[in-house]
Amino acid sequence: MAVTETNLGLSTQSDFSRRNAGESSSTAPWHAQVPVGYWVVGFVLLLMPAFASDFMLFQIFGWTFILGMIALSLMFLAGYGGMVSLVQMTLAALAGYCMAIFGTSAIETISLGWPWWVAIPIALIIAVIFGTITGALAVRTEGIYTIMITLAIASAFFYFTRQNYVIFNGFSGFNGVLPPNLFGIDWRGPKAFYYLTLFWATLSFLVVVYVSRAPFGLALQGVRDNPRRMAALGFNVNAHRIAAYSFSALIAGVAGILLTWQSAQISPGTAGTGPVIDILVIAVIGGLNKPIGPFIGAFIYVLLKTFAIDVLISLGLSGDRFQLLVGISFLLIVFFSPDGVLGLWERWRASRNRDPLLDAGEDRLS
Amino acid sequence: MSVQETGMERSTSVAERLSATGTANALELRGVSKYFGALAALKDITISVAPGERRAVLGSNGAGKTTLFNCITGDFLASEGTVRFFGEDVTEFAAHERIRRGLRRTYQISLLFTGLTVIDNVYLACCGVSRGRFSFIRARRNDALMATAEDLVRVVHLEDSRDTLVANLSYGQQRQLEIAMALSGAPRFILFDEPAAGLSPTERSELIEILTGLPSHMGYIIIEHDMDVALRVSETVTMMHNGAIFKEGKPAEIEEDAEVQALYLGGGHE
Amino acid sequence: MRAYATKHPVWSAILFFAAAFLLWMIFAIWPAWLIDILGRKKVFLSALLNGITLGGLYFLVASGFTLIFGLMRNVNLAHGSLYLLGGYIGYIVATATGYWILAFPAAFIVVAAFGILLQFFVFRRMEGQDLRQTLVTIGISIVMADLMLWGFGGDFYNITPPEWLSGPIQTFFVTGVKRSSGDLIFLKYPVVRLVILVAAILIGIGMWVLLNRTQVGMLIRAGVDDRDMLSATGARIQWVFVGVFAFGAGLAGLAGVVGGTFQSIAPGEDIRFLLASLVVVIVGGMGSITGAALGAVIIGLAEQFGSVYFPTYAVVLTFVIMVVVLAFRPQGLLGRA
Repeated sequence: MAVTETNLGLSTQSDFSRRNAGESSSTAPWHAQVPVGYWVVGFVLLLMPAFASDFMLFQIFGWTFILGMIALSLMFLAGYGGMVSLVQMTLAALAGYCMAIFGTSAIETISLGWPWWVAIPIALIIAVIFGTITGALAVRTEGIYTIMITLAIASAFFYFTRQNYVIFNGFSGFNGVLPPNLFGIDWRGPKAFYYLTLFWATLSFLVVVYVSRAPFGLALQGVRDNPRRMAALGFNVNAHRIAAYSFSALIAGVAGILLTWQSAQISPGTAGTGPVIDILVIAVIGGLNKPIGPFIGAFIYVLLKTFAIDVLISLGLSGDRFQLLVGISFLLIVFFSPDGVLGLWERWRASRNRDPLLDAGEDRLS
Repeated sequence: MSVQETGMERSTSVAERLSATGTANALELRGVSKYFGALAALKDITISVAPGERRAVLGSNGAGKTTLFNCITGDFLASEGTVRFFGEDVTEFAAHERIRRGLRRTYQISLLFTGLTVIDNVYLACCGVSRGRFSFIRARRNDALMATAEDLVRVVHLEDSRDTLVANLSYGQQRQLEIAMALSGAPRFILFDEPAAGLSPTERSELIEILTGLPSHMGYIIIEHDMDVALRVSETVTMMHNGAIFKEGKPAEIEEDAEVQALYLGGGHE
Repeated sequence: MRAYATKHPVWSAILFFAAAFLLWMIFAIWPAWLIDILGRKKVFLSALLNGITLGGLYFLVASGFTLIFGLMRNVNLAHGSLYLLGGYIGYIVATATGYWILAFPAAFIVVAAFGILLQFFVFRRMEGQDLRQTLVTIGISIVMADLMLWGFGGDFYNITPPEWLSGPIQTFFVTGVKRSSGDLIFLKYPVVRLVILVAAILIGIGMWVLLNRTQVGMLIRAGVDDRDMLSATGARIQWVFVGVFAFGAGLAGLAGVVGGTFQSIAPGEDIRFLLASLVVVIVGGMGSITGAALGAVIIGLAEQFGSVYFPTYAVVLTFVIMVVVLAFRPQGLLGRA
């Protein structure tokens, strides 16, 4: 087995260091280990429906959480595993399609109408299986090839769903894909949907943080940094990579179901090349090294997507130039801060805290 | 095509494994060669090492010692010949499969996870050969694997640096950590690639102490430039030159051998 | 080839008979049973020729991509945008001057110059950082796509070839026999496609000769094999990098004119041709020019035969081929392990 060590340029070992920092203070109770900032953000998010408009809750935050989860699944692969996959949006869309096909939709000739507690597990299982197969194909080559192969697979899915009318209903896809009326709540109501997405986004965030320091996550980071050494320790390097794809597919699948419920429809365009690349853009803008990065990136992206048109028009430009704005901000981030806005923030904080008399070489650990 | 072939090999190797149990050599190489393009890095190497045997491999730079290790552990596959580990044909096995059968190695240039602490490096090494390597559950303090890892850290005298980042360890400490990682998870045979290189005299004697203190069933091969170290920790010596075996014998014989002296001391580099 | 035949006699026999049968299908007058299975021979022959000419176009795009990747390990995901840019420039020049032929050098030079800028301001600044380079090219393709949409709108543009190239020509392929007179019917095929195919083949041969028979080619091939050795040879190599990048980008621009002539130029074509290049080099083997040629013909044929014989899943067929190749030969058909 030829193991080439590719320099991905973006991966740093900050999570390893962070783990170390956490370990040394593990005598403290768990709630004291969480930085104050997280508590503040948590409370604000919990109380948000008290003061935010329905549009904010449903469109801005709901969408942020969903896109954040999909980007988080990419961050897990790229940040911990060193594998940049462009197939995450496709996995999400596949889960959404499965909800429409096995559950209920307005296209009654195709939808099987099975209850949600059957449809959801099937959707997630299929997404995980597809993710695993993609992973098994992608890990056969190394490093930068992954991005090309996953892009090709994602496009294949897009074209296939667009051409296939028997299962995927072709170009128009499915509409009327609604969440179940569980506990008598309309889960597409702004407040309910806000809490629903907040819950799943928080859960997936916590799971990723937890797993990153469990044996599986540690081994994955070991595989990223030094595959040859990991093999010499008895780890099956490729099996770990493929398992990472499966795990990320689960997160993407959950997000895909939520995404389908939010817009009540799913169509080939959901996973077209544009949205597929947007997920990478989101993750990179936020920062690929920390699980919180994708959510920050998603928030910025959603804000841009929602309000950029107004801003562009007020600047005298056509509102159509949204893609230009996204592209340029993406380029600027990649050029000047490879670890996203999180990296910018950390560098700014480090430069502010630095004692000019001491060489603060260890600011990363703070 | 190749799937069929390996399938057949596997099925015969089971039978061979059964018949060979108990009498097999720990390590047996037959006619192993390794080519990089036209360059032959190893030429027709045949070695048998008995279980528990401790052997030193000597030879100048470029003699093929590290390539030999790479072919044994599966970092590279041999171009020709067979490699048997306790009677089992592992020639086509991937590195991790050989490791899981009880083979271990250290690296000449430390390949450690510099962003992790000492204990985490050893813990990761213990995970690699355990079933818990895919675990999504974090380790607790009283975890069995963690306890083994703690023991190993003590064996190589690194307990004071348990929570230090590997990047902040001294060179000698990193070498010791390499050894701890090689000792994880019940090894049956270990390959040490120049463990003493760059160590201070005190660290050297500590190393010799660790090596001679290993349980007697644990055999090893050690590549070592320092004749003094090599001869004190081994029972047999193999001299390599230009990718081939040049001489084999007891340490005393090798030391006395005129040809070896001419080659190693005259044309040597250290 | 002989080594392969002695090593895999069964496969060689199967391949031989498949090739013989294909030749027979191309040149013979089809018996009734074959027409029952596959339909008229004319359809089959046009699909074959269309597939090969499309393969020629794909080769022009993908060879630049694979050359750049092979030498510099740069995955240039803006390659499709270079193609589209070349198409628009070709259209402007051809309509402004009235000379179709001028579109080619214009597109080549402008896009090559753009490639030099890319190499200079992006890739050289991020040498060795594969992922960052790739991300930057994604950003560039987003920006370029929107700028071109801004400039040219969402319309389709066609570059019209001159009179003498636009008609069909009678080829020597027999499609059938006239029932009334017993005369043979020959296939008619657009001249421009044949001319472009010949040009693609000539460019391909030219590249092969350049790579295998010249000093610069030796340097490039050495660089593909061993990049460290190459950097040891000194400063001149930076110029080789710039040259290869310019040439690869220029080819994409050239292909844009070709694509604009026998298909059309529109937003979205950049992604389509980027994907085609990706699939072609994945199938053929990354960094290999011969591999790109083989992959391009396979994918071109798959698309055309797919659209004739199972139209619904024509696009998917190419990806199925890619997946199969990846599963059994991850380095590509002619790639090195």
